[in-house]
Amino acid sequence: MNSPRQTRVQDLPLTAAIAFMRRFRGALESGVELPIALSTAAAGLPRSSRAKVERAVERLGGDYEEDEWGFDEEFTEAAFPFFEFMYDRWWRTRAKGVNNVPGHGRALLVANHAGVVPWDATMIGVALLRNHPLPRYPRFLVLNWAFELPYASVLLRKVGGVPASQHNARHLLEEDQLVAVFPEGVKGAGKDYSQRYRLQRFGRGGYVELAIATGAPLVPVAVVGSEEIYPKLGENRLLARLSGAPYFPLTPLFPWLGPLGAVPLPSKWRIEFCEAIPTAHYGPDRANDQRLVLELSERVQETIQQKLYENLVERGSAFV
Amino acid sequence: MAGRRVLITGVSTHLGAQAALRLEQDPEIEHLIGVDSAPPTAPLQRMEFIEADIREPEMLSILPESRVDMVIHNNILRRPRQGMSPQAAHDINVIGTLQLLTACERAETIKAIVVRGSAGIYGAEPSAPQFFTEEMARLYASRTRFQRDVSEIEAYFENYARRRPDVICTMLRYQPAIGTVLNTQVTRYLAMPVLPTFLGFDPRLQFVHQHDGLEALVAAVKNPVRGAVNVASAGTIGLTRMVRLARKPSLPLPSGLFGSVVDVGRRVGLESLSDDFRRLLRYGRAVDLRRLTEEVGYRPRYTTTSALVEYLSMVRGELAPMHETAA
Repeated sequence: MNSPRQTRVQDLPLTAAIAFMRRFRGALESGVELPIALSTAAAGLPRSSRAKVERAVERLGGDYEEDEWGFDEEFTEAAFPFFEFMYDRWWRTRAKGVNNVPGHGRALLVANHAGVVPWDATMIGVALLRNHPLPRYPRFLVLNWAFELPYASVLLRKVGGVPASQHNARHLLEEDQLVAVFPEGVKGAGKDYSQRYRLQRFGRGGYVELAIATGAPLVPVAVVGSEEIYPKLGENRLLARLSGAPYFPLTPLFPWLGPLGAVPLPSKWRIEFCEAIPTAHYGPDRANDQRLVLELSERVQETIQQKLYENLVERGSAFV
Repeated sequence: MAGRRVLITGVSTHLGAQAALRLEQDPEIEHLIGVDSAPPTAPLQRMEFIEADIREPEMLSILPESRVDMVIHNNILRRPRQGMSPQAAHDINVIGTLQLLTACERAETIKAIVVRGSAGIYGAEPSAPQFFTEEMARLYASRTRFQRDVSEIEAYFENYARRRPDVICTMLRYQPAIGTVLNTQVTRYLAMPVLPTFLGFDPRLQFVHQHDGLEALVAAVKNPVRGAVNVASAGTIGLTRMVRLARKPSLPLPSGLFGSVVDVGRRVGLESLSDDFRRLLRYGRAVDLRRLTEEVGYRPRYTTTSALVEYLSMVRGELAPMHETAA
């Protein structure tokens, strides 16, 4: 009568965890090093979690790859279930037109932008990885300021973020990477809630110059939903100056709830990838042609703005 | 160019001596002169050694008399030597270079100058390009004394190159070196019992393996090109990964405390970290190597990671010294 109950209890995750802790402590007491103790203890775990623990131990020993930009594919893959949760459950995202993104070779994704945390960039990445026939991780350009912050700089780089600059973008495109840019920059990130989905000026079109110079096609991307996750009601100049941030947002949750205020609101998202605009036929010399650059920039901006309105109408209510 | 005459400064440093050994074997080089303030320990045979301090005006007579056609300037200190004041190091770097250039000005025979400079000129910045190319030298204001010194040295050379367009000036910008026979900021950092890091930062670092450092210099002597050239082993490594590979405990410190804790460590006998190295530990730096591979024609044999792995296993005694692994 006792034996069937025992097996049932052993299957419980809690027992496995306790067994793990016990073995771990035993191993530590017998004087072996931490990584070895961890893997000894893991031997008692069910096979699926054993593999995970073993991998984590290997990573602790420095056995992992980062490319020369600091992108850690394994880390990103491990974080992917979380991003998928945000994509599916939290934001109920729908993506359209992913096939407009070239499956290989260089390309420049251009999107609207809101909020300091680059959720929009990561969600564009998830949309591509999930729906594209030839999925790949995009690299995205992030405000330089983020790279002065502890932890943020590490995380951003590990999932494909790169400090925003002409040099970096050009280098990435020359490596035939897929690069996402947000030409609205700080103006976009810092716009008021009442200004949502109204595209700010796209700088001086530096991203178009880059696309022409490297022959990369421009893919306008409209992201609906990202501009409601941190509704900015006001800002505080003094705090901005103290923290060195380009602006200090006041939202219904931030900074009143502290770190919890950084939890994005669950709006409904739509991501549309528009038809690519080829630039290779102009030739790199025309990168300095201001008229062409502004013309193309205008075209990209109009496309995104129009698609934003279309998707806003189609989506209906923002949160339910 | 048969029968070349070459002068090398800082010949008693490890890299200087190694370079001299290599150049001695080069049949094209007819006469090799080495200058330093102390005689080299390496078994050099053909080289003529001249004991001189490059800060002193002796160079003004030595250089024109030696009738050399190439000068290799290998006397730029990355840090003050044991028991040397920062001021003295600054003097050797800046005043020494100035003296050397003045001497070169008087030597009519000179056709090329190769300088072993430093990538420290780029600094280490959060918003920095992920790979500095050679024309990005002064993107940011100089933040450390060494960076200012290197910047000044380069300015002297640029000036000289403008005045003497017939002379080819090659400025090699070295990333921090790593190797078992070397004693550099990186190797001393890795030898610390606990590795201090900045809490929440994981910079991309790039080093040059001693082998790549030497071969790049030799390649530049054979084929001097005008202007600056970055020298490093390929690729980068994150600091966290480096610490884990070194199997050392790390001590993450909030940036406000880092300076004071490291200074206390120095007082109790631990390694001191230079201002440049502290900035590297926070923001990192990597350089672009296209000019080195395409124009100078040297392709680094190591990656930063393989250089580090080889170094660490040699230090632990897992790998016999002088065993060379291809990258």
